[in-house]
Amino acid sequence: MQKQSVFTRYIIPLLLLLVGVGFVVYGVTDGEAGAVLRKAVAICMECIGIG
Amino acid sequence: MKKLLLSLFGLDEASLQDPANIVGIVLTFAVWALVLALFLVLLFKKRFQIHRWGNKVWQRTKLLIQTGWFLLTNSFMIGWVKGTIYQGSLKYVCVPGMNCYSCPGAFGACPIGALQAVLDEFDVSKSWFDPASGTYIQAPLYWFAFYVIGFLMIVGALCGRLICGLLCPFGWIQDLLYKIPVKKLKLPRDEKRINGMKHPGTVRFFLGVDKYLRYAKYAFLVVMVIFLPLVVKANPWFCKYVCPSGMLLGGIPLMSRNEGLRDAAGQLTLLKLSIMTFTVVLSMFLYRPFCRYICPLGAIYSLFNPVSLYKYGIDDSKCNRCKGCYACANACPMGVDPVKTPNSPECIRCGTCNATCPQKAIHAGFKMKTVEGNAIRTHKHK
Repeated sequence: MQKQSVFTRYIIPLLLLLVGVGFVVYGVTDGEAGAVLRKAVAICMECIGIG
Repeated sequence: MKKLLLSLFGLDEASLQDPANIVGIVLTFAVWALVLALFLVLLFKKRFQIHRWGNKVWQRTKLLIQTGWFLLTNSFMIGWVKGTIYQGSLKYVCVPGMNCYSCPGAFGACPIGALQAVLDEFDVSKSWFDPASGTYIQAPLYWFAFYVIGFLMIVGALCGRLICGLLCPFGWIQDLLYKIPVKKLKLPRDEKRINGMKHPGTVRFFLGVDKYLRYAKYAFLVVMVIFLPLVVKANPWFCKYVCPSGMLLGGIPLMSRNEGLRDAAGQLTLLKLSIMTFTVVLSMFLYRPFCRYICPLGAIYSLFNPVSLYKYGIDDSKCNRCKGCYACANACPMGVDPVKTPNSPECIRCGTCNATCPQKAIHAGFKMKTVEGNAIRTHKHK
C-alpha cells in the first residue's frame, strides 16, 4: 500500500487553515463583515421570494 | 447583565414592554438548555465510536445532532413568535451550513447569502451612468470576499463536507423527508448487482446522468453566486431565483405571520414556491437532491474533502472488497464508493458507510493509524 505523507495529511490543511484565518482578519479590517451584517439584519426580500 | 442580554438579542430597553419578546427570550433559553443537555448526553454517555454502534444507533444519533444544531442556530424564538428576524450583532458571523438569514429563528448569516452580499456591494465613487445603454454601471467594492471565503476555508480545511452530513439545516430537512416511506430512487453501485438486474443498460445510463448532473452545483456556484452578483449586480442571484432553503426556512414562516409580506407576494413567490415544492417532493424519493446537484456551499466544501484535517480512511488489512463485499458502497446514500475514494468530493461524511461496514474497516478522524496500529488509506485506491 502506498504510504501517505505527513505533508499531505497535515501540512496542507493547516496551511489552508492559516490562509483562511488571514483572509477573515483582512476581510474584517476591510469592512466586509459590516456588509454581511447589513444584509443579514434586514429581511432579504429576494431570498423569501418577494424580490 | 440586562444590557448584555439586550445586546445579545438585538433588543432595546423599550422592547421589553412587549410580552411576546419576554416569551421569546424565555423560550430561547429553554431551547439552549435542551440542546446543551442533548450534546452533554451525547458526549459523555456514548463515546464517539460510530463503527462500534451499528448503523441503526448511528442514524438516530446523527438525527439528534442535526436537530440539536438546527435548534441551536435557529432558536431566536422572538422571530418565530412575532414573524420578525434577529437583528443583533451575532449576524456578523456566518453559520457553516445552508441556513437562510431571513429565517425567523436564525442567529447567524448564511455563508452563500453573505458571499453574494459582499460581491454585490458597489463603490459609489467609481460608478457612473452610461447614456449609451441607459444603465447605471456599478463598480464592485470588493473583488474578492475575503471574510466569507476565509471562513469557508477554515471550516473546509477542518472537516470538509462533514458540515453537509451533520450541521446543515437544509440537509437535515432533506434527511427527514427521505424518511417518509415511499419507493426510493437508489441505484446499486456494485457491478454484480447491476448485471443481475432486468435492465442493466438503463441503470448504467442513469448512473451516468447522476454523475454528470452533480457538476451542476459547481456551475451554480460560479455563475449565480460569484459571477452574476459581482458583474451584473443588483441581486443575490442564487438566493433570488434558485434557493429553496430561503423559501422554506424564511419565506413561508415569515409570510404566514406577516400580512404585509403576503400582500407583496407575486410571480417570483410562485417561482420559488414551485422550486421548493419540487425539491421537497424529490427529497422523499431521492436522497438529498439539492446537495447532490444544486448546493453551491456543498460545491465549495467538496473541494476541501480530499485535503481536510478530518478524513475518512480505509484499513486495507481488514477490508473485504477483494472478496466481493460492497456493503459500504451499497449503503452510501450519496452513491459514493468509500473503498475506491474514501474522501470523494461527493461524500457528505454522514457516517453511514462507517457504521455499516461489517469488517469495521472504515475510519473517520484526524489520525493516520487505527487503534491497532494499522495504516489508514485516505487516498484513491489504485
